[in-house]
Amino acid sequence: MAQSKVIMVKYLNTPWGHVHQNSSRYSTSLTTVSCGHPIKVLEINKGWAKVVAGPYTGYVQDVHLSPKKIECIQDKYPRFFDDLKLEITQMYYWGKLYDQYVEGKSRLK
Amino acid sequence: MNRLLLMSLFISLNIFAQSKPDELVDFSSIKDVLKSDRLDESAKIKQERSERLRIKKEQSRKARYNTPDEQDFWMVMSELWLVKNQQILKWDFQKPDFGLDTAFQDFLEKQGLLEKKFKILLVDSPTVAHFALPTSKNQYLFILSLPFIRTLDLSKLEISLLLMEDMVRADSELFKSHVRPTAKDLIGMNYAGSKLDIAKVEAVLKKYDEMILDKGFTFSQQFEITKHMDRSLKNNQELWGTYYRMIGKIDKLVKENTFYKNISKIYPSPELQLNWLTPAKSKDL
Repeated sequence: MAQSKVIMVKYLNTPWGHVHQNSSRYSTSLTTVSCGHPIKVLEINKGWAKVVAGPYTGYVQDVHLSPKKIECIQDKYPRFFDDLKLEITQMYYWGKLYDQYVEGKSRLK
Repeated sequence: MNRLLLMSLFISLNIFAQSKPDELVDFSSIKDVLKSDRLDESAKIKQERSERLRIKKEQSRKARYNTPDEQDFWMVMSELWLVKNQQILKWDFQKPDFGLDTAFQDFLEKQGLLEKKFKILLVDSPTVAHFALPTSKNQYLFILSLPFIRTLDLSKLEISLLLMEDMVRADSELFKSHVRPTAKDLIGMNYAGSKLDIAKVEAVLKKYDEMILDKGFTFSQQFEITKHMDRSLKNNQELWGTYYRMIGKIDKLVKENTFYKNISKIYPSPELQLNWLTPAKSKDL
């Protein structure tokens, strides 16, 4: 079987996020990744990036990936986030929030 | 010539004899020689550079203990509250795409509410019908109950009006002013040399509970919000009529359905809102 080629490396731009089994926000989460995590992108299709993150190959919404590492909220306030002592399930749900949000922005006409 | 060589040898030995490893060299004994070579200047620059580096390192070490500033604090707390209340709100569920993003975006643009970023979180619970959580300027985070909008059979336009009302509340910073006295010790502070008082974070989240699940807004706050909506929509009779009818629907719901009784406690009250919207009409008649 032909191996997919990495077309670029992108970085997660939400506080936490999920690598999904399929290109659907409701599909099973393979793993939770934190902001700034480098993710190898294999292809982008209909707003979903097929990615490799660690040992997992799955899908991340392309809008949650940036070509450059952004200043993540956890990096801006590292001790504060450490001291919040978030549980793994809380990080999981924080990532899920960004799957569930309906987002938009009004523009200048 | 020989005397000169001997002298420089003596000076070098003198320097080595006085200096210890890992210490800055004491140049005072050869001050004049160094001065003419401008080496004292270079030593001074080196010293200043090392001091600047030390200060910078210390500042960045200290900055690691910053708490979120005003710009970041509210979104962090609001999302933390949502995460901690996932089981009550039941927001992690599969729902159809209602096209709310484009509908609300179009609505905002038509109302001249431009450059507004929003996030809507649909919840599968009647506990919270609708609410705008605090965030930063021109950013909005809405909770919207799917059972609530289904029970009332709200159209996209009615949902947009409901969200606009929440937007006006958010802009008035009513929620923030309720939480701020408790949160002020956490916003933009630095706790280097001590520990983060997690009880303060818990207290802020408790204030969120109080506001969203129990206390809500006052009559006078509701009056101001309703009047603001009245003024904003009055130049579009169709929109104003839709808003008025929607409040009527909510009023009927809270009177007939016990699941939604809490709404009139959080937003007191739909019945009064209807009265506030119609005084001019009764005078005219």
